[in-house]
Amino acid sequence: MKRLLAIYQLLKSALADFRRDKIRTALTSLGIMIGVLSVVLLIALGLGLKNFIEKQFEGLGANLIMIMPGSGISGGLGAGLVGGVEFDEKDVRDLQKIPGLKYVVPMYFRSVTISSADKEVVGYITGVNEEMFLLQNTKINVGELWGKTEVGKKSKVAVLGYTKAEELFTNVNDAIGKTIRIGSLRLKVVGVANKTGDREQDGAAFVPYTTTFGSLNPKKTFWSIYLGVPSDELVMTVSEEAERILLKRYDKDEFSVSQQSEILSTVGQIFGIINIVLVAIGSISLLVGGIGIMNIMYATVTERTREVGIRRAIGATKRDILLQFLTESTMLSIFGGVLGLLLAAGIVLLVQIWFPVALNLIAVVVAIGVSSAIGIFFGVSPAKKAANLSPIEAIRYE
Amino acid sequence: MKKTSSTISLNNVSKEYVLGDGSVFSALSGVSLNIHEGEYSAIVGPSGSGKSTLMHIIGLLDKPTSGKIIIGDRDTAKLSDDQTSKLRNRFVGFVFQQFNLLNKLTIKENVLLPVTYAREKIDFDPEERALFLLEKFGILSKKDSYPNKISGGQQQRVAIARALIMKPQLILADEPTGNLDTKTGNEILKLFEDLNGEGITVLLVTHEPEIAARTRRQIKVLDGKIVEDKK
Repeated sequence: MKRLLAIYQLLKSALADFRRDKIRTALTSLGIMIGVLSVVLLIALGLGLKNFIEKQFEGLGANLIMIMPGSGISGGLGAGLVGGVEFDEKDVRDLQKIPGLKYVVPMYFRSVTISSADKEVVGYITGVNEEMFLLQNTKINVGELWGKTEVGKKSKVAVLGYTKAEELFTNVNDAIGKTIRIGSLRLKVVGVANKTGDREQDGAAFVPYTTTFGSLNPKKTFWSIYLGVPSDELVMTVSEEAERILLKRYDKDEFSVSQQSEILSTVGQIFGIINIVLVAIGSISLLVGGIGIMNIMYATVTERTREVGIRRAIGATKRDILLQFLTESTMLSIFGGVLGLLLAAGIVLLVQIWFPVALNLIAVVVAIGVSSAIGIFFGVSPAKKAANLSPIEAIRYE
Repeated sequence: MKKTSSTISLNNVSKEYVLGDGSVFSALSGVSLNIHEGEYSAIVGPSGSGKSTLMHIIGLLDKPTSGKIIIGDRDTAKLSDDQTSKLRNRFVGFVFQQFNLLNKLTIKENVLLPVTYAREKIDFDPEERALFLLEKFGILSKKDSYPNKISGGQQQRVAIARALIMKPQLILADEPTGNLDTKTGNEILKLFEDLNGEGITVLLVTHEPEIAARTRRQIKVLDGKIVEDKK
C-alpha cells in the first residue's frame, strides 16, 4: 500500500507539474516525438523497400539461375541490366545441353500497351516457354495455361496476370476467350493466373516466346534466360557450366550469371546498410530531443529547489528526490515517444495504400525503449543536481 | 513539567561558515543544550543571533562543524544521509514561517506526504490519521482544496498536521506565527499549547519575547551562544 502510494504520488506529482505548464510539457515532448516519429518512419520505409524488392523475387524459386545482359544485379542494384548482349535461340539450345538442368526458359520481356475491345492499359508482354509456369509455380485462376504445343505452333494465345485481367475485363471470368491486342499481335486469352503480389507477374501477358517473333521481336532475341535446377547443390556447378558455354560466344562483361539466393542476400545487405543509415539520421533528432529534455529538467530543478528542500525536511532521501525527477523526465520522454509512435503508425497506415511501408514490433519496442532510455539518460544529471541540493539551502531558496 | 530522559542533547556544538572572501563566520559556538521529553520551550533571540541555525541543527537539516548531537543514545554525526533523512521523517516534525506546503498537492495529500517517505512499516492507518488531524484542527472541509486557496492560518494548521502525521517525538516550529496576524497567531500558539498538553515535545524559534514568554522554557541565544536558559 505504501509502495503503491509512493508510486502514485510520484506520478501524480509529475502530472501536476505537467499540467501547470502544458505548453512547456508539450514542447519538450515534441522533440522526442519528432525523433521517434522519424526513426520509426525511416525503419518502416527501409523495411517496406526491402519487403517490396524481396517480393519481386519471391515468385521465383530459390534454385533459380538468371542469365542477364550486362553485369547483372549482383554488381549493385541498377548497375547492370543495360547494355550487353541479347540472347538468342542458339544460346537456349546450348544451355539445354547442361546435364542436371530442370528448366530452361528464354524470356522476352517488354513494357507494352495492351488493349481489349474497349480498354487500353499499360502492362508487360512476357514471351516464355511453358516451363516458366513450372518455374514460377503459376496457379491458374480461370481458364488454362498454354503448353509446349502452343510454343511449337507459335499460337496466338496469352495467359493474363490477375491485375491486367481485372483492368481490362473487370471480372476476370469474362477474360477467357476474349481477344487482346499488343501492337499488331492479336492474342486469345486462354487463362488468368492467380494474384501473386508481384507487379511484373500480375501485370503481364504471358505468351509463347515464339509468338513474339515478328514485328514485336524481329531479331528473335531474349532479354534473359532463366535456368531452374532441381536442388541447391547444383546451383553453383550449373552456373559455372552456363558461364563456360556462354563465354564461347560473348565477352565476360557482356552477360552475367546470377543466382536468386545471391541476389536476395545482396538485396538484404544493401537494405541492412540503408536501414542503419536511415536510423542514424533519425537518431540525431532523438538526441536533440533528449538535450531538450535535459535543458527543461535543469530549469525545473532550479524552479523547484524549495520543493526539494521541503521534501528533504520531511524525510525524503536523496534517492527519493532523484527518482522524482527521473520519473518526470522519463514520463516526458515516453509521452513524446508514444505520441511519435502513434503518429508514425497513422502515417504508415495511410502511406501503405500507395507504398508497402511496414511497421514491426521491433520499431515499436525501439521507440518505447529508446524514448525511456533517453528520458533516464538525459534526466540523470538534472535529477542528481536536485538530489544533491543541501536541504537547508534548498528550503531557504526564494 | 516533570524531568524525564533527554529527547535530544547538544554537546559543545559549533557551526562555522566560510564566507565568500575566505573569512570564517561563526554562527554557533560551543552550544550545549538538552531538550527533554514533553517540554514546551522557545529559542529566542534577534535575527542573526544563530537561533535558526540552532534549530536546523537540532532538526538534522544541517550538520554542525564540531560537537555532538545525541538523539536517544545515537550520535547523529555518524549517521548517513539516508539515516538522517529517516530521522527527519519519524523523529521530527517541522513547522515553518512560510508554511512550506506544496501547492500542487491537495491539503490531504500535503498532510500525507511524509508517509510516502516512511522507510519502515507504520503502525497506523495514514489516511485515517490525516483525516483525524484535519478534523481536530477544524480544516477537514478543506481536505480536497489546494494550499493557495485557503487562508494563512489554515495553511499553518495543515503544516502542523503534516508535522504530526508520523507521530514525531519533537515538533520544531520556526517563527510559526511570523506570517500571521496577531489573532490567528494566537490561535496557532494555543494549538501548540494543546499539543504539548497531550505530551508532545514542542520547540519554538522566535524573535518575539512575548511569544517566547508563553512557553515554559526560554533559551536566549545571542551571537551564537546561549546567554540565558530560563525555566
